[in-house]
Amino acid sequence: MKLIKTLAAGAILSVIAASASAYDADWKRGRVYYRSVCTSCHVVAPIGSINPSTKTKAEWAAYIKADKHAKGKDTVKQYVSKAYRASIKAGNKAAEKFADTPDQELLDDVAAFLNKGAKDGDAPASCS
Amino acid sequence: MEARYIKATLALCCAAWLAATGPVLAEEAKPEAKPVKLTTTADHTKFKQLQKTFDSGPEVTKACLECHTEAAGQIHRTKHWKWEFLNPETKQTLGKKTILNNFCISIASNYASCTSCHVGYGWKDANFDFAKQENVDCLACHDTTGNYKKPPGFAGNPVTKDTEFPPGSGKIIKGIDLAKIAQKVGKSSRDTCGACHFNGGGGDGVKHGDMDSSLAAPTKDVDVHMDAEGLDFTCSTCHKTSSHDVAGSRYTPTAKDNKGVQVRGKAGSGNPATCVACHDNAPHKSVARLNQHATRIACQTCHIPTYARGGIATKMTWDWSTAGKRDKDGKHIILKDAKGRITYESRKGDFTLAENVKPEYAWFNGNVQFTLLSDKIEKTGQRTQINKMGGSPTDGKSMIWPMKVFRGSQPYDPVNKTLITPHTAGNDDTGFWKNLDWDKAIPVGMKDSGAPYSGKFDFIKTEMSWPITHMVAPKDKALGCVECHAKEGRLAGIQGVYLPARDNNKLVDTAGWAIVLLTLLGVIGHGALRIVTSRKH
Repeated sequence: MKLIKTLAAGAILSVIAASASAYDADWKRGRVYYRSVCTSCHVVAPIGSINPSTKTKAEWAAYIKADKHAKGKDTVKQYVSKAYRASIKAGNKAAEKFADTPDQELLDDVAAFLNKGAKDGDAPASCS
Repeated sequence: MEARYIKATLALCCAAWLAATGPVLAEEAKPEAKPVKLTTTADHTKFKQLQKTFDSGPEVTKACLECHTEAAGQIHRTKHWKWEFLNPETKQTLGKKTILNNFCISIASNYASCTSCHVGYGWKDANFDFAKQENVDCLACHDTTGNYKKPPGFAGNPVTKDTEFPPGSGKIIKGIDLAKIAQKVGKSSRDTCGACHFNGGGGDGVKHGDMDSSLAAPTKDVDVHMDAEGLDFTCSTCHKTSSHDVAGSRYTPTAKDNKGVQVRGKAGSGNPATCVACHDNAPHKSVARLNQHATRIACQTCHIPTYARGGIATKMTWDWSTAGKRDKDGKHIILKDAKGRITYESRKGDFTLAENVKPEYAWFNGNVQFTLLSDKIEKTGQRTQINKMGGSPTDGKSMIWPMKVFRGSQPYDPVNKTLITPHTAGNDDTGFWKNLDWDKAIPVGMKDSGAPYSGKFDFIKTEMSWPITHMVAPKDKALGCVECHAKEGRLAGIQGVYLPARDNNKLVDTAGWAIVLLTLLGVIGHGALRIVTSRKH
């Protein structure tokens, strides 16, 4: 019975360990993508650029989690997707450079940059 | 009952195994998606030495040294550690420990503030132990999180617990988690080098003009090599480092590199950070005439049309003589321009700042002679040069270089005729930045420098030159011919070279116009004869 419990515990731990080997987000890549893709488009659009330091870490986390871009007209995720990058890569070097980066990794990168650059983050950041 | 448990457990184990290995097997089919760190061969989160709470920087270094046994010894031999350098040509002892400038002037008596940019821990006075291995700061260069900070005032130490600083000010410096930072160490980056080199002179972009935080993730227009979306060079791509010793020097710069491309294995290649080290001495493929220019003109002259191009202004002048004013309530004054940039501070005096600055140009042969505290100076109509840049059109070693020339006014001793090293930073009664009293600040600073002080001070106008070499623009943004080949062009003040369109020689001009006139007469005469002879027929 003891052996069974040990085996069961080991099995559960292996599952946790497997899921724990999550992607280690690269805030620097997030910085480049945010500034080159998000900001460059926002500057053109009427809304203008949004400094990461204008929101708190919690606000950015909630924004990413809610996944509502332009007040819900579309999603945030789609703007880091491979499909979106492919659609703009002819005129956007960052989209071209990160064309093959998995969607979730790039979203994590951007989220890491926003978390770091938030008003209460470790290094409040601007758009440029 | 027990058999059921065993079956269930085995099924769970299989499921767990599949969950754990399934993705790996699937990813083996697509190796590009394998979640492996490509920038390092070691995942430092896995090292037991780093899985603990660190209360101080030296504790981290001690852990690093358990594996990297030679690293501290290598650092101990470098300028980054010693802040001292003996110039083999001029025999001057230089380095931050010794030289003065016309920004914050000197580190003497200001160690606890200035050494926030030292690659060490605890340099708070002249008794710092330069031989102690644990005093080496590995994280300053190897942090990848961007969270490693060494605030001024802590003698190069990071703050690991929330701390009120200055004491009694109510300002809290947030403590940082050194374990998290240590577990993510990696190669140096633009961010790590920039933490100090972007902020020289007391703020972002202040000192160099061609280095500021816009280079952390620059666009192609700001720097064609570091372009974060393109070539993405780090500082060490050019400043190739060996045994922790970073190539390149402000004290013995390579003004003219005629050694061509650096080939692996080729001995005596010289400085790897020059343009020529990659681009060769004749890099212009389609317009050969430009290669002739490259024999007398530094690449930077044409390829860095302006500096401070990243949206961050650099300081151009600093007048210490106006420092010390207080408002009607006796408080320090800070004045800002329309863009919110500080133009006056009681602590420091008046500043001017500028962006997109056209460099000044000078012949430069790499020889730099500093005016040190031991040198005599005279207050004349001319500015005292903090660093004299050697060079002439005839020495065979000089090129025309772009420079940022920083001009200022700073304290000097009119009796002993020397520059002065005042005690500026420090939360004490004599620190000028606190009490605005030169009579208290100067004796303390000079004593710490071991230099005599007469008790009298005045202000002297100085200038300091900084060769411009970063912020290389894309080639289509390089200078066009008319920028220099014009009467009031960029090289208007450069002597010793004949520049068509800028220079005149009466004999050459007369001969040239005579040829033009004769040619014209010949054409008209020939045409006239043809007309006349055709009518006769």
